[in-house]
Amino acid sequence: MRDIALTDMERLGALDEADRTFQMTEEAFRSFYELTARPVRVYLARLTGDDRLADDLLQETYYRFLRTNATFDSDEHRKNYLFRIATNLVHDHRRKPFMEVPAAAIAEVPDAAAAAQAAERTARRLDLHRALKRLKPRERSLLWLAYAQGWSHEEIAGAIGVKTGSLKQMLHRARHRLATLLGPGGRS
Amino acid sequence: MNPLDCPRETAVVNAVLSGSWPHACDESLVAHADVCATCREVASVSILLREDSESSRIETHIPAAGQVWWRAAVRARLESTHAAARPMTWMHAITASIVIGAVLAALTALWPVLPGVFTTAWSAAREFLPNPQVAIAIGNGLRTSLLLGLIGAVLMLLAPLALYFVFSDD
Repeated sequence: MRDIALTDMERLGALDEADRTFQMTEEAFRSFYELTARPVRVYLARLTGDDRLADDLLQETYYRFLRTNATFDSDEHRKNYLFRIATNLVHDHRRKPFMEVPAAAIAEVPDAAAAAQAAERTARRLDLHRALKRLKPRERSLLWLAYAQGWSHEEIAGAIGVKTGSLKQMLHRARHRLATLLGPGGRS
Repeated sequence: MNPLDCPRETAVVNAVLSGSWPHACDESLVAHADVCATCREVASVSILLREDSESSRIETHIPAAGQVWWRAAVRARLESTHAAARPMTWMHAITASIVIGAVLAALTALWPVLPGVFTTAWSAAREFLPNPQVAIAIGNGLRTSLLLGLIGAVLMLLAPLALYFVFSDD
């Protein structure tokens, strides 16, 4: 493949062009990014189970969002659209196996007094990750948006690209599967 | 009531996500969840997902907004540069095709004349050679290698073009 490289001057020029190329200004983007980047990054990490892939997909999500020609009625609509891009990107990678989140990825709590509580929480989270790993990507999306993000059925339907009518049953099935995998004590 | 859902399911999720579940929220809601299998399941799943979500948000390192903007801007510029270069690539390809066509057409047109030219040139050259047997041996050798030489020349012309098409983007 032939590579076209940009000179430093061209790179600087790219920044000047960006305001015209993208659908929002840099200032507006910064505000929007501060509000949405963490939830989107966590969502991507939970769906893919791969932190590095989640980082790549985060950049790709915002790039596609900036290049879109869509018009947005509200900030909610904008946010839902962003999650829809993220969801589609993850589904594009769905053939790749879901990789387990390494225990080291979960931050250790240095406070010794809270160690037992932290260990219990870490165990619960690892169990949750293992259980999520056994669900389909769409089920992970549904559960995360509904119960970690608190989205309405209409919002989820918009982000996932399914009809609201069939969402309830899908959500019920996914939730029941997760609850079964986690077991009565919340252990998978 | 549909056994798949419960009208109080949303209230349970909201209570869990706001952090008021179970002690700071409506007592009747907690009492309801004790007897409603759907709400109990919703609460248990929501509690775990919320805990994981909140911890992950704290732990997660995200790149600075400026960095994401910068990368997106450079990529947009690179893509527009690629898009601008695409017609040039097509022009090169068309030019190369025309050159190949012209060379092949010239070869086809000249092919019947070539033996005559070769014979005339050879007759002229033979007069300068001292020994007729040497002249005959050289003549036979040249006749055999003429075709091979032409094929070699065409291949040498086509090889760079083939490489160009293999390694070009479009």
